[in-house]
Formats: sequence, structure tokens, C-alpha cells
Amino acid sequence: MKKLVAGAVLLVASSSVFAEAPGGPNCGWGNMLFKGQSGFVAHFLGSTTNGTSGNATFGMTTGTNGCSVDGKLTYGGKAMVGAMFDEFSADVAVGKGDALNAVAAAYGVSKEDRAAFATLAHQNFAALYTSENVTAEEVATNLETLMKADAQLSKYVI
Amino acid sequence: MPGFSFERPEAMYTTRALVPILIVLFALLPMPTWSAGTAWEQAQASELWQRNEWIKLGHYKPATWPGSWRSQTEDSRFFMAANGAVDPRAELQATLEGFAASAESGDEHAQCRFVARLSWLRGELDLGDLPQPDCAKYREFREQVNATQAVLVFPSYYLNSPSSMFGHTLLRLDPGEADGGSEYLSFAVNFGALVDPNDNGMFYAFKGLAGGYDGQFEVDHYYKKIREYNHGENRDIWEYPLNLTAEETERLIQHLWELRRINFAYYFFDENCSYRILEMLEVARPGLDLTSAFPLTAIPIDTVREVERSGLVRDKHFRPAQGTVLKQRLEGVPPRLRELVIEVSRAPDRLDDADVQALDPATRALLIDSAYKYLRYTQTGVERDPEVAQRSFRLLQALQAQAADLPPPAAQPDPATSPDLSHGSRRLAVGAWNEDGRDYVSLGLRMSLHSLPENRNGFPAGAQINLGNFDLRVEDDGKVDLNRFDVVDILSLSPRDRFFKPLSWAVRTGVERQWTDDREHRVAHINGGVGATRTLWADNRIYGLATARLENNYGFAEPLQPALGLRGGLLFNAGPVILHWELSAEKFANGELRKIADLSHNLRLSRNQALHLELLWRDQQPDDRLAVGLRYQYYY
Repeated sequence: MKKLVAGAVLLVASSSVFAEAPGGPNCGWGNMLFKGQSGFVAHFLGSTTNGTSGNATFGMTTGTNGCSVDGKLTYGGKAMVGAMFDEFSADVAVGKGDALNAVAAAYGVSKEDRAAFATLAHQNFAALYTSENVTAEEVATNLETLMKADAQLSKYVI
Repeated sequence: MPGFSFERPEAMYTTRALVPILIVLFALLPMPTWSAGTAWEQAQASELWQRNEWIKLGHYKPATWPGSWRSQTEDSRFFMAANGAVDPRAELQATLEGFAASAESGDEHAQCRFVARLSWLRGELDLGDLPQPDCAKYREFREQVNATQAVLVFPSYYLNSPSSMFGHTLLRLDPGEADGGSEYLSFAVNFGALVDPNDNGMFYAFKGLAGGYDGQFEVDHYYKKIREYNHGENRDIWEYPLNLTAEETERLIQHLWELRRINFAYYFFDENCSYRILEMLEVARPGLDLTSAFPLTAIPIDTVREVERSGLVRDKHFRPAQGTVLKQRLEGVPPRLRELVIEVSRAPDRLDDADVQALDPATRALLIDSAYKYLRYTQTGVERDPEVAQRSFRLLQALQAQAADLPPPAAQPDPATSPDLSHGSRRLAVGAWNEDGRDYVSLGLRMSLHSLPENRNGFPAGAQINLGNFDLRVEDDGKVDLNRFDVVDILSLSPRDRFFKPLSWAVRTGVERQWTDDREHRVAHINGGVGATRTLWADNRIYGLATARLENNYGFAEPLQPALGLRGGLLFNAGPVILHWELSAEKFANGELRKIADLSHNLRLSRNQALHLELLWRDQQPDDRLAVGLRYQYYY
């Protein structure tokens, strides 16, 4: 029953996905750090059966996936921070990693500039992460502020 | 499916609503049928509908009647002709007519819906000047799924779900060479059953066998798959980049679009996720035949091997599960400091103590990283706890401060242990037995997959996954009899230590022979057990399970008897030999006590051959019996 309710919530949420901030409400956009995998329990059965519940997501065009990462690269990075918040944060702490690289790619950061992006995020960890209750949105905003002030990376944020 | 609403594609309704309008339009306007006419004449001249490409695009398979066809989907949205599902010729004709129809229907136009058909037919026929509908939705999809390369992905065996224990396959579509990050944003193409969230895994397996589910393709970001498999289910992922060209990848994406929201019956054993992926590859590269190797079952890893055999695989990449990463990290921590990992994860302030401060920087960094990873691992699937979040954050801060000292992560696993290099999924066995002076020969066929004493290369250690194991015996007088038939036989022996606390468990059901009342009876049984496993040293394990059993045995006065028992055993590796020794005792409700000692020794001869020596001692009052058997096993 719980799963059913969660599924229904997902459906309702997904219909308003375009009205939400990039990333949508189920991407962990407003999630605090260490929230874990939101929506994971609701999806659990679907995933263990290699199945799909209800609407099969089909790229972005259906708009029913509840976690649309906007195609525009300037917003893509922001959405990716929310989508992989915990993994990204751990990578920022270490200064490298796939999730960090993925966020860079989503911001459209070219391969030559990715090391600079990683260093910027890593060295400014304290500025990005003000407490354990920081949200993905706050971190992304802090990150973009840093990028804007950086000669090499400012071109990736408008 | 109760309580579950499929979003019906608005396309269907619009099309229906449009039909009368279109008829009127057709009657009024001069129709551009001349081009369809000539194209159709050309198609008829070469009997184009018989071509392999068309057959694959329509998912046609030979039907019972020779020369007849039936598509694997009966979804009317996939066909232009009313009888398109059984008539490739009519479908081709209707498709050509659809292409030539007036462009106003936009996204619903045949050219927009059947982009792969259009692209193939353009190459085969002179289609003339077709109307040019605005395919806005497809354009958007194509911009999103902007790939030139494809990767076959195998999330490894997952014993905790009946439907995932054989693993899974999906495709990933990359815009360029993967660079450790950008593939997170790639799209994953997954064929799955549309499940009812109220069905449990076991029910799913049964319903899946009968084709009770519809399956559809799903296209979603790969990072979600990473979360789902690597993090949520703690499964390693193996990725096999394919050598599809940009053009072949394009064809795959075009066909994928044609299959958007198209229902296929989903069968767990054969027409499953892995089978449909093979079909996609056949469309991508015409002339490939991958599916005919799987008339009965399509075990995911066998489909990976088939794709390798066809020369499509150009590389191999390992993406470890969260637990695997943690294990690798912990192996780098000196044993004397492992308890400290747990202490630090519980109280990060420990890091400020003199003894921890005194550690060399690399070890301290490793300690912090391990403690952080361990703490996060324990929180998988758990609600956020503010206190745990605080500790996690403290560790993350410490990690950031000392990141420069962190040694690089442990080496990648040996590609020679990838799952595609495991022994074959099916097994033939022939054995010679002696049981208290009586000789017989055994003939065995196991449909899948792996037992503990067998060559474990490519399998997760401690996982036994068998489905459909038949064993016949031929007595020396020529009499043939059933020795055993295991429907399901799963044993999961994951060791417990201070970091990981998995339960070990077993489930087995089928028919086997048991001595009762001085006669051997064929009995039907179901049994299961739960317990724990410890590592002795290296990868040698000891385990114990408490068991419960239900047996139907006509040797008993009251045939159906429950029993409770214990079983315990050892699993040793000695070079090419693996030993699996097990003792078990079961007490039946009617007072019978059954004691068994089963000693298995498996000598690996090659990847796909083994010799198996078994000593089976059974004590069931009044007598005990000893059987000795030597078996040759061949995997394919």
C-alpha cells in the first residue's frame, strides 16, 4: 500500500515537473546532504524485478520521469548536483571522482577545464558546504558563485 | 492491474479523432499516392517485405504455419496495417502509404513514428518527394539521446531477488568515448516488465514465466542505473563497450523511438530484458544473428557472450558496487586499525586523539575515507538521521582536509574474472556411482547456473544459483529412474565480519531420493534455512544454517511431514580443487531423524570441464548408506 501511495505521489508530482526548478522535485533538489536516495524505496520493487512501474520513462520527451535534467547545459549541472548530491559531495571532498566529473560535464565544462573545476570545488569545500543540513540547491548556488568569480570557469555560468 | 493506471498514449485518441477528418481531406485533396505507388511497385518487384531488415524492424518471427509470420508485439500502435502483426507484406504497403500521407498530422505521421523504417526504405526504394511532416517530438528525443556509441551493461547477479538472480542487461548510449563521469549523463535503454507495485518478487517470477506482464523499453539517465545497482542493490556492474558505428547507433536510436510505449509480452526465461536487447543490436547492425541462439532461455550472461562471439565487444569496464569499493578500501587498512575504522565512524572526534593524530598521513587519510564509506554504507536505504548526518559531515570535512594524502583506490579487478568468462551456464554430467555394492550410472542436465564447489571464476563468491537441475540414474539392469530434480536451489553464503553482517540463506525445492524404512523413495520437498558464514582464512568459509523442511514421502505412514534441522559446512579452495563438505540433521514431526554427510570435491580441468567426486553418507534408521560417485561435468 505504501508503495502504491508513493507511486501515486510520483505520478502527481511528475505532472507538474516543468513548473519546478530544473531537476524536478524528485531529483533531490531541495534535499539536505546525506538524505540518501530519495524515491528509492518507491522504486525498489520495480528495480529488483528489472521492471518499470507505470509510465516507462522515455528520454525527456515524455516529461513523466519526475527527474528531468534539463537539456540546456547551463542548468544541467545544477540539476546533476541535486541528482547525485551525496556522491558529488564525497567527490568534492576528495577532489576527484566520477560524480564530480559528471557535474562538470553537465555544466558543459570542457575536458581541459575539468581539473580546474575539481580543484575549485575541492579547495572551497567549506564555502560550498556550510553545514550538514545544506541543500543541493544551496551548494549549486554557492558553486556557481565561485565559478562566476573564476577567470577560467566563469564562461560556464551565465 | 489494480490500482495502477497506465498513461494511455494520447496518440491513440488523436489518431482516432483524426480518421474522419483525414478521410474527408483525402476525398477533397489530390493525393500524392503516385510516389507510394511506384515505391510499392518496386517493393513488390523485389519482395522487399521478405528482407531480413524488414523482418527485424517488425519483430517478426516465423509462425507455426510454414511461411507465415507473427510479430512479437501485438500492440496495434506498432503497425500501420490492421493485420500488420501477421503480414509483413501488408505492413510494408501500409507503411509506404502512411509515409505519403499529408504532412499535417505532425508527430503522429508515419514518417515521425517509424523513423527507422523510413530510413531503411529510403535506401532501398525511390520514395520520391514525400510530404515533410514536422516531427518535433522525435527531434527533441534525438537531441536528448545524442549518442554515437553503445555499451552493453551487465549488472551482476543479485541473489536477494528471484527476478534478478541471473543478472540483467541493458544498453547505454554514449555521445562519445566514456571519460569517467560524462557517461553518468548518457542514456540507458532498458527493457522491463511493467510491474504492478503490489506484486512481490516471487509472484513476479511466476507471472513472468507465463507472459503475464507487458514489457516496454525505457530510456533514462545512466546515473540512475548506477544508483540503483551499485548503491541500492550493491551489485557490481560490468560494462562492455561495443564497436557499433555512429550510423549503426543512429539506427538503434531510430528503432528505439519506434518502440516507444509499445507493449511486448514479457517472459522471464526467454523473451526477457536480455533478449530484446539482442533484437535491438540486430536492427542496429543488419545481418547479425544473435537471437536464434536463444530458443528456450536467454540467460543474461549468455547473451553477453553471444554479443562477444559476434565480434561486437571492443572493451570491458568494471564499475564496483558500493560494498565492493568499501571492501577494497578496508583491505588497504592495516588489520590492527580496522576496529578503529568503526570507532571513528561512531565518534569522529576520535580523529583528534593523540594515537590517531600520530598515524602517518596516508594511513590516517585511509582511515577517514574508510570510516566515511563505512558509515554511508550502513545508511543505505535508511531514513536520514540528523545525528548520523552530523557525523558523516564531520568525516567529510576531515577527508577534505587530508585528501592529498589519500592513497589511490585499490587496483581494478582482474578482467580475467569478468562474468562473461565464467563456465557455461548449462551443464551436462555423466557419473558412475556405487552405493553399498550397487552400481549405477547417472546422467545429468542442469539448465542453469552455478554450484559452490564449481569453478567460481566470474561468479560472486559464496553464491549458488541453480534452476532446473535434472539427474537420471541408469541401473546395471538398464532400468532408468529419476535421481533428483531441483526446481530451485539457491544458497547464499556471504561471510559476516565486523563491517558486514549479511545473513546466509538457502532455498531448495524439487524431487530427490531418500532412504526411509529400508527403501529408497522419491520424495517431493521444499526446504529453506537461515544462518551465518564466517571466513576462516583467505576465501575459505565455514557456515551454519537452521533449516525447515516439508517433505512428501510415501515411506512415512503419514506422507506429508515437516521437519526442523541444522546444516553446517566448510568451503575450501585448494588450487584447482574446491571442497564443499556439509553435515546436516533433520528431525521430522513423526520422530524420524535423518543425518547426512555430503562431501563434494570438484577438480577444474578447464574453464568448461570438471571432475566431481562425491561421498554421500546417509543415516536414516535403521540403516546407514554410503554412496560414492565420480562425475564428469561439461559446461556449455
